Amino acid sequence: MVRPARLEVRAQPDRARPTLAVDGELDLSSVPLLAQHIDSQIESEPDALTLDLSGITFMDSSGLRLLIELNERAGRDGWRLSLIAPQHDSATLVLRMTGADRALPFEGPPLS
Amino acid sequence: MAQDLAELIRDRERLVEELRAALRGSERRFDAIVGSLTDPVTIRDRDHRFLYANRAALAHLGFESWEQLRATAPATIMSDYLVRDERGEEVAMDDIPSVRLLRGEAAEPLLIQTIQHDTGVQRWNLLKAAPLLDEHGEIDATIMIIEDVTEQRRAELRNAFLADASAALASSLDYEQTLRNVAELAVPGIADWCAVDLVDDDGDRRTVAVAHVDPERLVLAEALRRHVPDRVDPDEGLGRVLDTGEAVVYPRVTDAMLAAAAVDAEHLELLRAVGFRSLLIVPMRLGERILGAMTLVSAESVRTLDRFDQELAEQVAARAAAAIEHARVYSERSRIARMLQQDLLPEQLPAIPGYDLGSIYLPAVETSMVGGDFYDIWEVKGRWLIVIGDVTGKGIEAAALTALVRHTLRAAAEFQRSPAELLSFVDATLKKRPSLSVCTALCFALEGDTATIAVGGHPLPLYITGDGVREVGEHGPLLGAFPAARWQDSTLKLTAGSTLLAYTDGITDARDGDQERFGLERLCKTLTQLAERPAAEMIDELARRLEDFQIGMHTDDTAAIAVHRSADGATLGGRETHAVLRTGTITTPV
Repeated sequence: MVRPARLEVRAQPDRARPTLAVDGELDLSSVPLLAQHIDSQIESEPDALTLDLSGITFMDSSGLRLLIELNERAGRDGWRLSLIAPQHDSATLVLRMTGADRALPFEGPPLS
Repeated sequence: MAQDLAELIRDRERLVEELRAALRGSERRFDAIVGSLTDPVTIRDRDHRFLYANRAALAHLGFESWEQLRATAPATIMSDYLVRDERGEEVAMDDIPSVRLLRGEAAEPLLIQTIQHDTGVQRWNLLKAAPLLDEHGEIDATIMIIEDVTEQRRAELRNAFLADASAALASSLDYEQTLRNVAELAVPGIADWCAVDLVDDDGDRRTVAVAHVDPERLVLAEALRRHVPDRVDPDEGLGRVLDTGEAVVYPRVTDAMLAAAAVDAEHLELLRAVGFRSLLIVPMRLGERILGAMTLVSAESVRTLDRFDQELAEQVAARAAAAIEHARVYSERSRIARMLQQDLLPEQLPAIPGYDLGSIYLPAVETSMVGGDFYDIWEVKGRWLIVIGDVTGKGIEAAALTALVRHTLRAAAEFQRSPAELLSFVDATLKKRPSLSVCTALCFALEGDTATIAVGGHPLPLYITGDGVREVGEHGPLLGAFPAARWQDSTLKLTAGSTLLAYTDGITDARDGDQERFGLERLCKTLTQLAERPAAEMIDELARRLEDFQIGMHTDDTAAIAVHRSADGATLGGRETHAVLRTGTITTPV
């Protein structure tokens, strides 16, 4: 039995905009968990969502796919998505490698 | 239990007081108090003879009058029953709480199951005893309250069994193993042995599980099962259940029934040896379709299987049917996805003048997720094109997308010169699809000693020489994902003895038991040690080290392809694709 990656998703009620903070490893095994949190968050506050990915230590292509899909969905349904970039090298690498760092709505300066 | 005991003590004190008062008064007054209780109450003297039994106790013990009970020795009454504790251990007269009190021991309430030999009826009783003391504080007699907890106990057992069975049914997609687990769970809680038969579309039955409470007698049960023909009589027993989809119950199996069911003398002998007491066969049904049946047999325990057992068995059988169907659909999907995936890899690596080649493809262990990685290699107008990629998403959709990408690349290569243009063409094709279709791809063209490389959202290829390992090429965006995307060609001269290796992130993302990733650094270190070796050897060794790292488990597809420029520029022959295809146990992702 394959052990799922460790991922924690927390709502951040003290932030100005609806925010989910995501910590840990975002891969094939943990993507469904984040997707679930996002769905219920959007259901309760449908205007905007910030995903704080600064605590992400690892991301694979399925994690990236989730972000791309989310970005398309935000554009289609007319709500605002913003992303706070990961700090960890292995997660930023995937974003840079795929061009997602420029194409997805990351806040602040481009990823180094 | 502590609370029960405290209650018992309070009850006892009150009861003793009331009894003392009553005994000082009249027998009639005592009987008015205790006689009206619905729980059986008995009082026994120091020799364990009955001094008193209320109406409920008489009925419970199966006596019509007090006189009849008084004339019967307690041991005789007990011998009418098979008495066991909750663990199934036999309970002797000496274990009964009232008898223990007489021996001067503490007597906690005792939960027992009784099965009457004659009727096979099973009851669960909670026995609570308290001493009646004389004026010197010596035990004069004991009073015992027998609480019938059959309903509660059976409900508890049913819930526990259903929970265990549901967990077992959900634990694996190998449904035959799952059915064996469920059969194991059914003994001894429900029956002494349990068999599960499946029936195929042609109506042939096949026993997939036989479990017996006693492993030694399992042999007998299995031997018996072999006598059941593949095509069973649709009018009787198992055949009738498989034919009608309705359960059949034989509360009491008689010798005449065995004789009628036997196909030959040996079969009859086996049937008699099993010692059938009671038989219950329930269908495993999904709507109108009958997938098989569960057979439950009571033998050694002499218990009669009743309505309650039937309901429980039917519930489990219905869940088992759903689990079988789920597993069948799932394994069919996995098979299709795997088949498609196999089709998407070149059967054989070609011979390229001046190079030798090696490749590996390890599909994910979780077969539902088959269909991520692909690679291809082909010749167009004197150039060799090599491509590797990862379609995000899994299963049949991913396999279909892989096919699209691969065929698009092959077609576009006929008129697009550079790898960057090829990626751009695939990107445009993917963006025309109605649903989000993205993939990573690394493409390089090999012409003489020059490689032209373009990368779309994929790990950069590694250039391996005796001097070390480095990434080559430039990162470009994922295909199919972003507007206004552009790709760059980079060129590289391959020196004699050098290797260019392209891989998917299944390698670097592989986790070990401590959740540590294999990582790019470890990959580069490994490849440094393997520099200048023939490509196939390098790939084999890399696969072996990856295997050691992951301790036999990998969660994602893994692919790599390497081209090694021969030291002398000579051509080695074509080599079969080195594909390590593993078919690990099918498990559900947790």
